[in-house]
Amino acid sequence: MEKKRESQCLCFRMEEMSEENIEEVRVLEAQIERLQAEVSALQCQQQENHKDITFNLRGQMQNAMSYVCGQRQGGGKEKVLSKLKEEVEELEEDLKRQTQMNGISLNSCTKKTLQSGGSKLVQKFLLSGHCSELVFQVEFQLSEVKEGQGSERTISDLNVVMDAGDLQNFSGFLSGVEENRDLLLFFRTLRTFTDRCDDRCRTYQHFQEKYPSVVSLPGGCRSEVMNLNHPELPGCVLMVHWSVEVSREGRVTPKVDLLTKIPERALQLFPSQPVGGAAEAFQSLLRILGPEAAVESIIRAVGL
Amino acid sequence: MGAFFPLFSPGVLSHLSRLEVEARSRKSRPQQRSRVKELKAKVEALRLQRDRLKAEIETHKSLQKLRVSMDKQSAHEEEEEEEDEEEMDEDSENSQLLRLMARHTQLKDLLHAHHIIGGYNVIKTRQGKGVCVSLATAYDGVFLDTYNLEIDVKPTLRISRHNVPPFIPLNSLVEQSNMQTDIRSFLDTLSQHLNAFAGRKQQLKLVKELHKAVEVMESNVLCSILVMMFTVPGEKTAVLCTLDYTDHTRCLPTRVHFESEDKELPDSPEWKKNCSLLMETPVHKALIIMKKMGNIV
Repeated sequence: MEKKRESQCLCFRMEEMSEENIEEVRVLEAQIERLQAEVSALQCQQQENHKDITFNLRGQMQNAMSYVCGQRQGGGKEKVLSKLKEEVEELEEDLKRQTQMNGISLNSCTKKTLQSGGSKLVQKFLLSGHCSELVFQVEFQLSEVKEGQGSERTISDLNVVMDAGDLQNFSGFLSGVEENRDLLLFFRTLRTFTDRCDDRCRTYQHFQEKYPSVVSLPGGCRSEVMNLNHPELPGCVLMVHWSVEVSREGRVTPKVDLLTKIPERALQLFPSQPVGGAAEAFQSLLRILGPEAAVESIIRAVGL
Repeated sequence: MGAFFPLFSPGVLSHLSRLEVEARSRKSRPQQRSRVKELKAKVEALRLQRDRLKAEIETHKSLQKLRVSMDKQSAHEEEEEEEDEEEMDEDSENSQLLRLMARHTQLKDLLHAHHIIGGYNVIKTRQGKGVCVSLATAYDGVFLDTYNLEIDVKPTLRISRHNVPPFIPLNSLVEQSNMQTDIRSFLDTLSQHLNAFAGRKQQLKLVKELHKAVEVMESNVLCSILVMMFTVPGEKTAVLCTLDYTDHTRCLPTRVHFESEDKELPDSPEWKKNCSLLMETPVHKALIIMKKMGNIV
């Protein structure tokens, strides 16, 4: 009887143990299934995040990300921080170089991926910045289609916004640029335009400093007009009108004119030829000497 | 599921069955134990994986938020920067690192933007002794060829290597625009020439692709001259059209000339209109209009 009971107890114990194990196994397997589902969902989300090219992490950025997420590898925080700082400083230097060489200052660039998959990538860009004194906001779509060894990139939906005040010379050109999606032409022309405006501003400032009693800039040095007032002949004004025009094609042309504002009485006192014909004379000087020298000659010639 | 153990066999049978049970449990016990160990390890691994994924996704969200606020600050430079400093104090342990990461992405985007808008991609080479620049060309929204220059910086600026085609007068442009003192002005002028050339070339390609009824009789590598043969519908008169692009910085012709067996045709009002059209509109587009107007086949 004892033996039987013994064997019964043993058998029960064995069953209990294996039942415990079986229970444990079941519980663990269920846990695993739940965790796998969680991980799967999170991986999906991670995939979506990786499509956001802005946060495509490599090199020091990858190390930094791993650190933040709890993977404390050798080196610790200070090392990760200093290496990333180094890389960021290199990028800042690079940006300075590009800004200087390109003559364009970009403040912000936001990218949004509209389509990515297979061989086509479509991104929407919103850029803001300035070129000298002119502020712009440019929006466009960039499509990149893989073709054999290379890829074809095209721009669409180009939209350019500039300050209303700067628009006068530009509006015809801007609508042409948007129509033809000529992103590169816009920036090339913007730069050339501001270069010519800067030339004018520098020249006007130079003359104001050199002949302060004669030269006045009613609209400031960035305006188109410079007045030459004879200190002893009030009412007699020679006005230099220097405009920078932009054609629809993007050609930038400075145009300098001399206008005279001389009261009738004065004209009677002066032989009309040199004074009345000043405008044409100026144009010839302009052709030969260029704007700065031509203006200088006028100032000298009028005995100022 | 357990095996069925005979509980009531007497004597030998019960002994045998006991042995059987022991043998079975010896086999399955370590199996079950190691299986449990295995499963527990798997659970741990999955937990770790899940937590890391969660952390990455959270960090990603923080970075995005940081970027948005940094972009807003940069787009409106005049506004105060200090306001947003406090926001990150919740997680100040990693906030410095996160800010740096966000700035990294911002800089990368700005550099990418410079490249896309046709920037010169200036790179220092040979420990500062040289500089590499690229000139991008585009026409009608399509990016075309990119040209590269390698420039020695010392003792004077000198182009050492390039892939600019020979029919672009590189040397005279160097002198004209005073490359030594103003490299940007030189690059701007060169870019103008290259883009105009790329534009004319593209127009020629499109004429050949889109207008099969128009015969291209003559063109040159610089694409500064284009001679085409039109056919007038109906009478099937032939018109020889010459486009001269004497200004190589432009994509539009400086001169349009028609010749025809019908001597009166070039002076007719429609063809005078076509003349202005070809002066003001890129040729491939002008031809579409001319076709629509029924002037050409």
